Amino acid sequence: MIHLTNVTKEFDGKRKVRALDRVDLHIAKGEMVSLVGPSGSGKSTLLNLIGTLDKPTSGEIVLDGQKLSGLADDDLTRVRRDKIGFIFQFFNLLPSLSCLENVALPLHLRGWKRAKARDRASELLDLVGLGKRMDHLPDELSGGERQRVAIARALSVYPPILLADEPTGNLDTHTGAEVLSLVRDIHSRLGATVLMVTHDRSVAASCSRTITLRDGCVVGDGTA
Amino acid sequence: MNRLMLALLTAAPLIAQDARSIVDEAQKRSRADSQRYEGTLEVIDSKRKISTKRWVYERLGAAGESKAVLRFTAPAEVKGVALLIFNHPDRASDQWMWTPAVQRERRIAFQDRRTRFFGTDFTFEDLEERDVDRSGYKLVGEENYAGALCWKIESTPKAEARSQYSRLYLWIRKDNYVLTQAECYGKDRLVRRIRYSDIEKVQNIWTPRMLEVHDVERDSTTVMKLEKLQYNLPLPAENFTLQSLRREQ
Amino acid sequence: MMLLRLITWPYVRKHLLRCVLTTAGIVLGVAVFVGMHTANQSVLYAFSRTVDRIAGTTQLQVSAGETGFPEDVLDRVQAHPDVRVAVPVIEAAVQTGIQGQGNLLVLGVDMTGDRALRDYDLDNADEAIVDDPLVFIAQPDSIIVSRQFTERTGLKLNDKLTMQTMQGPRRFTIRGVMKGDGLASAFGGNLAIMDIYAAQMVFGRDRSFDRIDLAVREGVKVEDAQRSLQAALGPGLQVDPPSSRGKQFEAVSRIYSLNANVTSLFALFIGLFLIYNTFSIAVTQRRSEIGILRALGASRGQVQRLFLIESGIAGLFGSILGILLGVFLARGLAVYVGSFFGEVYGVVERAQEVSAKPSLLVFALLIGIATSLIAGWIPARSAGQVDPVKALQKGRVQVISEGENRVRRWTALAMLAAAIGCVFLGHSSFFFYTGYMLSVVAVLLLTPALCTWLTNLLRNPLKWLRPVEGALAADSLLQSPRRTSGTVAALALSVALVIGLGGIAKASYETIREWADNALNPDFFITSSESITQRSFRFPPSLGDELRKVEGVDEVQAVRTARIIYKDTPVMLVAADIESISRRVKMHVIEGDAATMYPRVARGEGVVLSDNFALMRKVHAGDVLELLSPTGPVRMPVLGVVTDYSDQQGTILMDRRVFIRNWRDDTINAFRVYLKPGMDREAMRQKLQNEFGGRTRLFVMTNTELKQFIERVTDQWFGLTYVQIIVAVLVSILGIVNTLTVSITDRKRELGVLQAVGGLRNQIRHTIWMEAISIGVLGLAIGFALGAVHLYYILDVAKRDLAGFRLAYRYPVEIAAVLVPVMLGSALFSGIWPAESAVRGSLVEALEYE
Repeated sequence: MIHLTNVTKEFDGKRKVRALDRVDLHIAKGEMVSLVGPSGSGKSTLLNLIGTLDKPTSGEIVLDGQKLSGLADDDLTRVRRDKIGFIFQFFNLLPSLSCLENVALPLHLRGWKRAKARDRASELLDLVGLGKRMDHLPDELSGGERQRVAIARALSVYPPILLADEPTGNLDTHTGAEVLSLVRDIHSRLGATVLMVTHDRSVAASCSRTITLRDGCVVGDGTA
Repeated sequence: MNRLMLALLTAAPLIAQDARSIVDEAQKRSRADSQRYEGTLEVIDSKRKISTKRWVYERLGAAGESKAVLRFTAPAEVKGVALLIFNHPDRASDQWMWTPAVQRERRIAFQDRRTRFFGTDFTFEDLEERDVDRSGYKLVGEENYAGALCWKIESTPKAEARSQYSRLYLWIRKDNYVLTQAECYGKDRLVRRIRYSDIEKVQNIWTPRMLEVHDVERDSTTVMKLEKLQYNLPLPAENFTLQSLRREQ
Repeated sequence: MMLLRLITWPYVRKHLLRCVLTTAGIVLGVAVFVGMHTANQSVLYAFSRTVDRIAGTTQLQVSAGETGFPEDVLDRVQAHPDVRVAVPVIEAAVQTGIQGQGNLLVLGVDMTGDRALRDYDLDNADEAIVDDPLVFIAQPDSIIVSRQFTERTGLKLNDKLTMQTMQGPRRFTIRGVMKGDGLASAFGGNLAIMDIYAAQMVFGRDRSFDRIDLAVREGVKVEDAQRSLQAALGPGLQVDPPSSRGKQFEAVSRIYSLNANVTSLFALFIGLFLIYNTFSIAVTQRRSEIGILRALGASRGQVQRLFLIESGIAGLFGSILGILLGVFLARGLAVYVGSFFGEVYGVVERAQEVSAKPSLLVFALLIGIATSLIAGWIPARSAGQVDPVKALQKGRVQVISEGENRVRRWTALAMLAAAIGCVFLGHSSFFFYTGYMLSVVAVLLLTPALCTWLTNLLRNPLKWLRPVEGALAADSLLQSPRRTSGTVAALALSVALVIGLGGIAKASYETIREWADNALNPDFFITSSESITQRSFRFPPSLGDELRKVEGVDEVQAVRTARIIYKDTPVMLVAADIESISRRVKMHVIEGDAATMYPRVARGEGVVLSDNFALMRKVHAGDVLELLSPTGPVRMPVLGVVTDYSDQQGTILMDRRVFIRNWRDDTINAFRVYLKPGMDREAMRQKLQNEFGGRTRLFVMTNTELKQFIERVTDQWFGLTYVQIIVAVLVSILGIVNTLTVSITDRKRELGVLQAVGGLRNQIRHTIWMEAISIGVLGLAIGFALGAVHLYYILDVAKRDLAGFRLAYRYPVEIAAVLVPVMLGSALFSGIWPAESAVRGSLVEALEYE
């Protein structure tokens, strides 16, 4: 499902930083993988590259059989919106939209009919257990609830790949566990490939495979 | 036009009996009831540029109570321009000017008497005929001037005369009481020097036929010559009115 | 100060463009203020210097308005014991045959005794400039011109110069050249001197003088001499120091100043909103920074002060830039204003040097800073109120309380009610201007509420247009009421300003056009100058009789116009054949009865006033006017008030016989000629021109040409208005650019999220464009409404305090229609760059942006 071959990412700045150094990585369909490593090891960079938010300096990424190299920005966006769902540490919900609207947003962006998008969004909110809070604004929800809305949004088009950047990093242990079990639940129910960046060992432990990064290189790749 | 020298010949008996009587005598000797001459005027400016004008002058009446008409005859640009002057013993004269091209006579107001008379080196004040008693006189000595022995008299205009000059020196010939030179001082600086020459006896009156005015500051000289001079000739009084000024063009 | 360097400077450096844009409003406001006033002052200064130069050592001047007076007045003045020297003067503005030299102001002076009063030449003794004074006087074609003029034209002594005179074009001989920086440099050297009696003849003045210049006797105080001379001469003649001539100017310039003030006020108001806007956003953006500061122990007051100082500095920079721009603008404006002032002398006044008064600059600086401080006050306060704990929490937004909104709304409604109350008390200036201010402020306070309401209305059409982007755009606007309403308010103010200016222009054009169609109905106007406002040349009355005899001429009306002084202001006196005029022209009567008042005026029993005269001086039918004529005061009952736009200062209409009797002047400025029905106008014009043009200076102007002339004058008058409109539009465009740029940076993360969840670049672009256009629509909608209110007030200002013109309320639909594409277009245009920067930036950065 996710294939990285010899991927390198450098950041230009006052000092050139090599965030990823010739990474090769293969994640099969339906896997649930956690990505761990100390700060600055390149976890987020890797996730961003897979999420098509950023382009590698060199190397090739193939998602669901689609090569990313040479694609224009808009084509990358199309890949993203068809194949990838994002869950951010800080939720990144639009504060002016209700939960329903936030979840329906990607569908709208894809040009779905209003009624159809609403139906799907409410279905997803039901799925994440927020069926009763659809018309609330993000500010009116707790952190865990917000993250669940974000997960619903990530799932809105039933993407084959779900990327999560520290989904529990901004939540207390209890809520974090809840969110995590939701992700696991979705993984098992929808069969999506999940790649999750985390600091939390318990979160990593709950995944079937754990990839460890250090200084931009994969230093560990083990199955739990 | 030669009344101008008379303007300078005035006397005050209280200050210096001698000087005043000399001036008085000079004035008496030049007295005539009427006068006519043809004048030529040359202004030689500091760049030695010469401009010439001619006119006819007629005067009726004697010192202090006279009327005069001056009419330009040349050059062509100024031909017909005329000046009518009423001299009064006790105040400034009245003057009117006639300019044929605009068919207008204009009153010339002697408000600023320092103003030069139409581009000559005379000022309007130099043209006035004024009361003898408006100046004080003092005999300062005797000097030879132009081959003749002269009295040198200092004349100081009184405040009420509102003169531009602070004092004047007059040279009057001892033999015939003719004024031969005048030096005019303003604020102790020589401003103007007037020389009288070609002195001839016309109808028993000693008369200078040539006047030379030198403006010291501007280094410009006006030379005036009097020709066909006649005294005591019959002149009709109606020639000396505004109407006649307009009529004769 | 340390805080400023550590905290503010890096931020400013990072957002330099934004900071510059933010101060744009202040810059333009200050620039307009400084520019207009400097131009005005420079021209006024140049004018007063000209007055001084022309006046020479003149201490007092005797005049009778513009009418002139008989020659014998001179004898009376000269005989007065306080007068040392008194000389008559005639003034005329004439055209030369030389291309591009403009008009010459010809001074007719008495060449025999005048020299004591004027410095024709500062370098040499005075007479040296005239080659031969006797020739000069003897020849009426003699003139003295300035050295500057000879240098410009290449003419020299004894060359010929053609000038327009009463006898048609005539050749004059340069018999003198004056130099120096006295009289010779007045009007940039466009000044000539000739003999006064020749001038009387050449300019058709008969035996009258325009003025007597005098110097008082030594030891006499000028004021005392003025008083005793005035008493001796009687009220028909005015005895004033030369500087009082500036009064006429100030009347004209006052209108400019007021106009400039209104525009600068609006520009500053707009600037206020821009600053308020940017600072509000800056506070939001920098709240984590503020949080850190607070956490490190900075007090609320310190944070508040920091932001206030920042806004003060922004104001300072904006003001300095504005002053520089203003001084630069002033150069251009001075030329324009100067051409207007040409009306007084007939010769264009050019400000030789444009320099601003330091006091004006300081004032402008203070205004700019004050505006900025006021604008920064609320953001600074909210910066002080930032909760350090919340601010340091990532991903949390502090929302302004709803309570403030409600308070604002109620305040606005109360103000609106008060403003409506003021309308009923409108006869008092205080209530009027209070009402004006209140209604503008009320609308501005209501802007947030109106924005929300209007955006909700807009949401559906936008969604219909583009379901996703439309909704997003609308929501984005709703989400940040402060930001949106700030821009919208700035935009609405600009629109309102434009509507007001456009409305007054439209009303003026239409009202003047209607009046011209009605009042100016003769076939021909025969004048002695190309410009009918020029009164240097006048016709003898005999010309009227000759015109009447021309085959095909039905009726000829002689008109004498002259500016006279009424209660210290110059007003226009129009003396004409009232019986004939009232038969031909049906003027709109405001007070009085047309059937009875005209016959009475024709009999010399009274006068009719123009509407603006009556309004500005609060005179009504039944009152008695005391007019000063050279023969003494003339008491005239006001028999009626009519609509008339001939003059900005107001007109007095009287029968010409009254004028001739009291002003002892039977000359004529213009003839109104009616042709018999069926006559060929063009042929008749040729005929008149041929018959009279050869021997007298005469211009036959057709009805259409006169109306075009009036149109041109009106155009000139409103030329500055268009400059102001452009400034207003410019400021508002800057406002939109500013807000959008700021708004995009503010929402970088949000836009990043949109892209992350699948938004295509075009979708993002369209969202921003729609947002921009929506702001434009909101601004236009509120601006149109505010403009309607503003126009109502500004028309009233014009009526009550400016020219007294009663202008009809006409909403400038055309201008409003033009504004729609202009504003929306510029909104869209200003959205382009922010949209591009939003889609081109790094997504990763955008998502991490905080």
